[in-house]
Amino acid sequence: MSATRIHSQPKSWLWGTLTSIRLTVFLLLILAGVAIIGTVLPQNQPPNQYVSRYGEVWGQLLWLGGFTQVYSSPWFLGPISLLAANILACVVHGLPQAIKRVRQPLTVEAALALPERGQVTWPAGVDPQPLIAATLSRELGRCRQATLPGQTVYFLEKGRFRPVGPYLIHIALLLILAGGLIGKFWGVDGKLAIDQGEVAGAFQVGSRVEKPLNFQVRLDKFQVSYYEPGGSPKEFRSDLTFMQDGREVRVTCRVNEPVTFGGLTFYQSSYGTQATGPIRLKVQLGDLSESIEAPLRQPTDLPGGRGQIIPMKVDGNFQGYGPAVLLAFSPGSGHPQVFWILKDRPELGDQPGPYRFTAESIPFGYYSVFQVKHDPGVAWVYAGFLLFLPGLYLAFFRPVERWALVVAKTPKGKWQGRLLGASPRHREEFAARQERLLMELKRGIPS
Amino acid sequence: MISQILGGVMLIYLLAAILFLMAELWSSARLKGLGRVTLWLGLGLHTGALLGRWWASYHLALGHSPAAAWADKLQLIIIQVPLSNFYESLIFFAWCLPALGLLSFRRYLQGYLGALVALLASLLLAYASFGVDSHIKPLMPALKSNWLLIHVVTAFLGYAAFTLAFGTAILYLLQERRPRPSLPPLAQLDSLIYRTTVLGFLMLTLGIATGAVWAETAWGRYWSWDPKETWSLITWFIYAALLHARLLKGWHGRRIAWLAVLGFMAVLFTYFGVSFLLSGLHSYLT
Repeated sequence: MSATRIHSQPKSWLWGTLTSIRLTVFLLLILAGVAIIGTVLPQNQPPNQYVSRYGEVWGQLLWLGGFTQVYSSPWFLGPISLLAANILACVVHGLPQAIKRVRQPLTVEAALALPERGQVTWPAGVDPQPLIAATLSRELGRCRQATLPGQTVYFLEKGRFRPVGPYLIHIALLLILAGGLIGKFWGVDGKLAIDQGEVAGAFQVGSRVEKPLNFQVRLDKFQVSYYEPGGSPKEFRSDLTFMQDGREVRVTCRVNEPVTFGGLTFYQSSYGTQATGPIRLKVQLGDLSESIEAPLRQPTDLPGGRGQIIPMKVDGNFQGYGPAVLLAFSPGSGHPQVFWILKDRPELGDQPGPYRFTAESIPFGYYSVFQVKHDPGVAWVYAGFLLFLPGLYLAFFRPVERWALVVAKTPKGKWQGRLLGASPRHREEFAARQERLLMELKRGIPS
Repeated sequence: MISQILGGVMLIYLLAAILFLMAELWSSARLKGLGRVTLWLGLGLHTGALLGRWWASYHLALGHSPAAAWADKLQLIIIQVPLSNFYESLIFFAWCLPALGLLSFRRYLQGYLGALVALLASLLLAYASFGVDSHIKPLMPALKSNWLLIHVVTAFLGYAAFTLAFGTAILYLLQERRPRPSLPPLAQLDSLIYRTTVLGFLMLTLGIATGAVWAETAWGRYWSWDPKETWSLITWFIYAALLHARLLKGWHGRRIAWLAVLGFMAVLFTYFGVSFLLSGLHSYLT
């Protein structure tokens, strides 16, 4: 709304372009186009993914052209910076005028210069002014009143602060963009993977960099629970202890319930299970029954010589059924077959081949992964969100309306009222109100 | 039980649409009144069904995590609002259309526009009943948040307002091509496009902002360029362009109507396209 060229003589070509709505629309179109690329093309994948998917030439082009990380590429950062400049220029350009308008409330002189919208005549004798005042305050709100020689003027202005509304919205947008920038430059964003029972003193930023914490954190316990066995997950819960200068703070971190310590916020992000020793399996083949120990990701020969198994991975609470191990069974020839063995529910799941497996013990430990973050830009972004509200309210729900009713006594003793008013942007509502107002003012006039 | 009621509501909306159409064709004030009463009746039943599902979903959750203190119960009620999957979002979207129409734009909700709103609500309910899994499922951890209620309500009120703007824009374009005395005058339609768009824009802004605040507490990122986020931003851009064109460039009529149509296409893609064609953080909707 700020982006129009209001002034009559443009200061310079650059300033004129920067404050133009054309630039805004042009930039919005480009940004929308870039954003569409970002949603259609998978982002932040390794380069070979693109080559295998789009071919050598196109994959390379997409990678080198920055389209695979489009939101941090010049294709996006360029237009968005220009948009910020565009918005800023419009605010600088128009805000002083808007403030000036707000600081000049409607005067009698200005009210008298409003265009005329209708006339009402009251008969001589009874002073209609009490009726007029009551009608106006009922239909419009509290009016100011001025007595001039020979006439009384009732006038009021609605939506006086409306002109600053659009600027509040655009300042809010600038705050949000500034917040994003501040977060990018002064924020910290990393990952912390920590085994149950372990103590960590550093976290991972990017793919290689380790950043030390100025405190220590221990994962006391991780739990995952399900609504029912085989159902959907109910809760991921990490019990953490923060340690600094001999002080210990115990907290619980869940999804949607991050915890903050020492200026960093920890978000429950993911988890996993690791085997802490070889898996003990009972293997049955006909009458043969034997216990074996199978280390993770290593082939173990099965008694009876009919094949090998490799424990692929373990899960501490497989779909809510308790500990489980994923086995790959390879008979002497043919493809290996992969299936889960549940320790507490051995009857569940299909087991191929001649063997029956039962898990006797699955030694495991959980690890939990946290998003670790400090973002000083968030406060700016939230300030922007909050500023949006009064901005949108003023800009769209407080239309400017100016009204004046000039009441004068005619030489014949009658009373004559002239209704004046204007509303630059809400003609339909204004016309409806005008009609109603004239009708109400005429009410009670004996015809 | 609740799905049967919703099936009934679907038929009632359909009936309201037919009554509105008949009222228009025979210019009968009585049929118009009847259409409106029917729509109100449907909305009342629909509201009851929504509350019923809310109640059922709260009791299901109470079984999983018993709450004794009233504060815990209140918390559970808030997060168990039936807006947590695709089916429930369709039901709520269908509710928003007649609700917005009857509460905020009562004066205009008659004739072809009334029929359009009732028909769309009926179609959404039909799709929800026949094409989508309607089971109440317990909440996944990411959705357990007080922000769920306000985020989804504002987003769908926004979608509904944009749908009204779209319907009005279609009527405008028809009326302009071949004027009919039975349709509202062009100036009125034009003003209605603007007012519904403003409401939708406010709601979409709130929806995006509450979503960002929620994302910050859930994932530690207020903005992740998730496809749903990105498409809602594209939608926001289009409606922002519409408002700028109208308020600054004085665009009216046909061009604004086409922009409202374009914006609605983006809304449709944000709602359906992203859920079905692109994967991302909002994929639990399907």
